[in-house]
Amino acid sequence: MQLFFEQILNGLAIGSIYALITLGLALVYGILRILHVAHAAVYTVGAYVGLAIYSRTSTLLLAVPGSMLSCVLLGIAIERFVYFPLLKYPPYVPLISSIALFLGLEELCRIVAGPELLTFPATLPFPSFSVAGVMVSGTTVTVYAVTIAVLAALWFVTAKTEFGLAMRAASLDMEVASSLGVNSKLVVDATFAIGSAIASLAGILVGIYYNQVYSTMGTMPAYKSLALIVVGGMGSTVGTVLASFLLGLGETLLISFANIPLPRDALAFIAMILVLMWKPTGLLGKR
Amino acid sequence: MKAKAVLCAAAFVILGICGAASAADTIKIGVLAPITGFAASDGFSTIESIKLAVEKVNSEGGILGKNVELVYYDDAADPKQAVPLANKLITQDRVIAFVAGSYSMPSRAVAPIFDEEGIPLVAAYALHPEITNGDYTFRNGFLGTTEGRVAAYTALELFKAKKVALVTSDNDFGQTLREGFMGYLKKTGREGDLVLQQTYPSSEKDFAVYLSKIRDAAPDVVFFSGYYFQTAPALKQAKEMGISGIRFIGEQGSDSPKMAEIALDAAEGFVILTNLDRDDPRPLVQEFLKSYRDRHKIEPDMVGASAYDAFMIIVDAIKAAGSTDGKAIRDAIAATKDYNGLTGVINGFDEAGEVLKPVQLQEIKEGKFRYFGIVTDSELIKP
Repeated sequence: MQLFFEQILNGLAIGSIYALITLGLALVYGILRILHVAHAAVYTVGAYVGLAIYSRTSTLLLAVPGSMLSCVLLGIAIERFVYFPLLKYPPYVPLISSIALFLGLEELCRIVAGPELLTFPATLPFPSFSVAGVMVSGTTVTVYAVTIAVLAALWFVTAKTEFGLAMRAASLDMEVASSLGVNSKLVVDATFAIGSAIASLAGILVGIYYNQVYSTMGTMPAYKSLALIVVGGMGSTVGTVLASFLLGLGETLLISFANIPLPRDALAFIAMILVLMWKPTGLLGKR
Repeated sequence: MKAKAVLCAAAFVILGICGAASAADTIKIGVLAPITGFAASDGFSTIESIKLAVEKVNSEGGILGKNVELVYYDDAADPKQAVPLANKLITQDRVIAFVAGSYSMPSRAVAPIFDEEGIPLVAAYALHPEITNGDYTFRNGFLGTTEGRVAAYTALELFKAKKVALVTSDNDFGQTLREGFMGYLKKTGREGDLVLQQTYPSSEKDFAVYLSKIRDAAPDVVFFSGYYFQTAPALKQAKEMGISGIRFIGEQGSDSPKMAEIALDAAEGFVILTNLDRDDPRPLVQEFLKSYRDRHKIEPDMVGASAYDAFMIIVDAIKAAGSTDGKAIRDAIAATKDYNGLTGVINGFDEAGEVLKPVQLQEIKEGKFRYFGIVTDSELIKP
């Protein structure tokens, strides 16, 4: 029973990380209907920039906002200079450019920072604690805390503010929203900014959690997050978060109690195939 | 018309002679290593260590009166990249021998290519059994099965474990380790003492779920195999999770200066099986360690030392053979005896091309690998 409880906590931590990485992708898809594969590169850049600032200043208080700001600028630049000019073409055109951008940014990170794996030896500000005989490490507590904070902030912005209303309107139909006075360009910019800022946080968090930052760290998130937004229901942020936690828990329980010789990464894709076969709208998708 | 043809023919002959002459100016030895990609630090170590060997050989007058020239390419530990590069080394660079300085997958893909061409190959540290299937193929590192067997011996005999656990990656490397480990348990009738056997995908980053299972199974010793970028975060997580009273041992995949850099103080007391002893008093070893540290400001590792040895075994064989003929070099490598290498005194190679030498045990103390023990029992270290 204790093992089960412990594994649930492990699964929630993995699910939290998946959710943080995938949220930006879901937000962007919700608004522009673009599969923003390069989002995983923004996450990698976030980790590198965070590490670069941290190694010079030794404080996360500068590293985190600095990295978030860089990623916001990068995200908006990608939207303005790559996706927006391509929106008039069929969806596969921005998709292809997004994949190219992803690979290009990964290589750029490698060239600038070197092929070596770097370490991110920052200590996180949360203490470890025990519940029911299970010790939860400080880093895991940080993962939970950051995820809860991000989800709460995102919920507040989208559900309680005028801007959130504009976002929801634009995601339903951008042209109609524009004709009704919504500044859709600003909404799109803001969506990329929010998504990229969360990706930067995720990058730093993962970098510290595993104490590793390397240029290909976005590869696994790039494809797994695609599966997650399909399972969650394309563009549904709540569905994506739900799918992320279910996958984290599913992977953990599978490894823990089934011990089948199936790579854990396969589970996301099996779920994606099943969803596409039986419920193509995803868990909480509307269209 | 005829005059033109003669001119052409003459030009070709002259070109041919010049080509041959320039090719013969140096003795070319080829290397493939993962200079970029996930294994980049191993590629760096491989190439930089071999460069030290090349400098040493050339400063001592080269071989057969010629300088040695190193021709190396980056295979990114990817078989798809390695195969065309192997062909390039053979047809364009015309190397006379080859150091397989990469991981098992790419080394396994290129070994038959060199073997078919009659170009001797020495694998530095890759441990898949099939690499040495050919007649011209040798290995300076240990087989996975040997390491697995010695790991089981270390856990049961040296650490007197009553209960052991085995954790391996789901790739080639993990599978051969598992075979060796299980083989020893079977032979000694201790299979019942294995409380957990667990594999993880080679792309794994998060080990919390495995560590919870290990804590639950409560072994005395866990053989936690894998590369440093897996075992180091695993040790770090284990410490954060408050796991204590379980000894972790690893193998050569964890033999990297990055190990303690990633795991920090959680790496203390981690014992690995490897082939480089940093406290080896022989001048050869200490000189190498010093020049590597001075030049790169980082700790040398078994990958580099193994590549250095693989290269020097070839150099020695060329000297012994007195020829650059592939067959002659191959026979000289096969006849290697009591070779004084960085990775220990190499007794020689067996019929299959597998190395015979002691297995080193190193323990991390204050962030550095130090001598912990040595396994010389021929029953254990045999391929």
